[in-house]
Amino acid sequence: MRLIFKLLRQHVSIGQLMGFFLANLLGMLIVLLSVQFYQDIIPAFSGEDGIIKNTYMILSKRIAAVSALNGEAQTFTEADIRELEQQGFTRRVGTFTAAQYQVYASLYMGGVGMGTDMFFESVPDAFVDVKWPTVPEGEVPIVLPRSYLTLYNFGFAQTKNLPKLSEGVISMIQLDFRLRGEDGVEQQLKGRVVGFSTRLNTVLVPESFIRQSNAALAPHAMTEPTRLIVEVKNPADDAIAKYIQQHGYELEDNSLEAGRATYFLKIITAVVMAVGILISALSFYILMLSIFLLVQKNAEKLQNLILIGYSPARTSLPYQLLTIGLNALVLLFSIILLFWTRHFYLEQLWQMFPTLSEGSTIPAILMGLALFLLVSLLNIFAIRHKINSLCNN
Amino acid sequence: MTTITLHHTLPRVFEQRTDIHSDVWLQDVTFERGHLYLIQAASGTGKSSLCSYLTGYRHDYRGDICFDGHNISTLQTADWTALRQRSLSHVFQELRLFPELTAWENVQIKNQLTSHKTEGDMVAWFKALGIADKRDVKLARMSFGQQQRVAIIRALCQPFDFLLADEPVSHLDHENCRIVGDIILEEARRQGAAVIVTSIGHHIDWPYDKCFEL
Repeated sequence: MRLIFKLLRQHVSIGQLMGFFLANLLGMLIVLLSVQFYQDIIPAFSGEDGIIKNTYMILSKRIAAVSALNGEAQTFTEADIRELEQQGFTRRVGTFTAAQYQVYASLYMGGVGMGTDMFFESVPDAFVDVKWPTVPEGEVPIVLPRSYLTLYNFGFAQTKNLPKLSEGVISMIQLDFRLRGEDGVEQQLKGRVVGFSTRLNTVLVPESFIRQSNAALAPHAMTEPTRLIVEVKNPADDAIAKYIQQHGYELEDNSLEAGRATYFLKIITAVVMAVGILISALSFYILMLSIFLLVQKNAEKLQNLILIGYSPARTSLPYQLLTIGLNALVLLFSIILLFWTRHFYLEQLWQMFPTLSEGSTIPAILMGLALFLLVSLLNIFAIRHKINSLCNN
Repeated sequence: MTTITLHHTLPRVFEQRTDIHSDVWLQDVTFERGHLYLIQAASGTGKSSLCSYLTGYRHDYRGDICFDGHNISTLQTADWTALRQRSLSHVFQELRLFPELTAWENVQIKNQLTSHKTEGDMVAWFKALGIADKRDVKLARMSFGQQQRVAIIRALCQPFDFLLADEPVSHLDHENCRIVGDIILEEARRQGAAVIVTSIGHHIDWPYDKCFEL
């Protein structure tokens, strides 16, 4: 084999091969970097250490002017809920159940009485971020949105010179409720605020209470939920944004932003990767031209080797090994450069997200290996094809 | 392989000619293993074309050429590779040696493929043909006559049933011509092979079984 190599290395152009090497190295590095950067940055959008940790989303149907005037129900049907439950991003779905009766709340404090109409809602207990305490018979626990307390303390109380209230103080206040249902059926209850929710923006009571009171006070009212609470696996999943968009649903907060950012990141990664692949493809073209030129210059030698009994496979081997060697060098150098570059950008990322965990390097390395195999196989077949054509003179 | 048969074979380039008077072209000719054949021809009568057809390098002919009854037009690249390694050896008129390699490397490149001869056998041939001192000289620096002897040694470094020698001694003196003749004949007899020699005048003095005018 030594003699074959000695013979066929004639006319090998170092300049052309260097050109291929640098171009392919650049292409491969861009592809690997885009994969690796995506891997490293994606935990910043999702996962436990991500900047977006809210895995609960509250969904409602968009209220359009026309449907509101028509009196069209903006409720979720059984089929809507079942479809949502079957989505890949959904962990579980809970429905908001509203009290189907009127609620009047009043309180007496220091001889002063206040009263207001209000409402009750519930969600399944597993979705509530406050644990329901056991309360005496005839009393109902209530969870208020934390934003209400903030609104009172820093908005209302501040301007009216009223005292600011802590959670502890509020939980000591005894409330009286009068519930009025169908046909004037009434029920008196005592109640107490047992906690504040950051997740749910409503006046919450336990689901079991709503079920019992609805049955007792409004047994004929049958309504579908207008709001759903959904626990998702990964709030950065861009499939959520697409699903919500397609179905005309609305979210209570901006928890879709993570999904949109991920989608944007995916597009950027795909574009950068496409540029890398394009450069790789062009460099592959340079290599093929270079090798074809080499084969053409050495055509007479190759023909002579074939005529004295060498097989096309054996005469192709030196050029195939040359290209595989070059491709392997490109892979090796691009992986080294990848780790070197990654070291720098990870430092920058850690300054922004100190708890960010490193992404896996396996996808980038697998991508590199896949490109190496693809390019090498194409080289092997193209060289063999070219040398076979010399046999059929 | 024991026979090579030509049935009404004619190079396509001669198709328009009406004055073909040949013992080979447009005839039924059979070459058998173990015999010596001489094909004499004037320049331009298709001598090298015949060798190219028999070694599968060119296919621009009409009629049929068969090896042991099988038409060679059906042979694939792999079949030709096997034939060139084990059944058909060829001393090319244009030698087809590698000028970048030394005389010894030119022979080695073939023997490494077939592992047919020992180093001692090859050294002995170099000595017998008077080119032992040129062993490590680049082929490009040798005369055509010396290169011709290297090509002959290379052709003998393989098993064969038929040896095609296209003007093998065109540039050799009488003495070297005799030595080449002895070496080829000895190797052919040892292998029980046939030798088909072409010549435009100056040829090895052998007891040929059949002579053809091309």
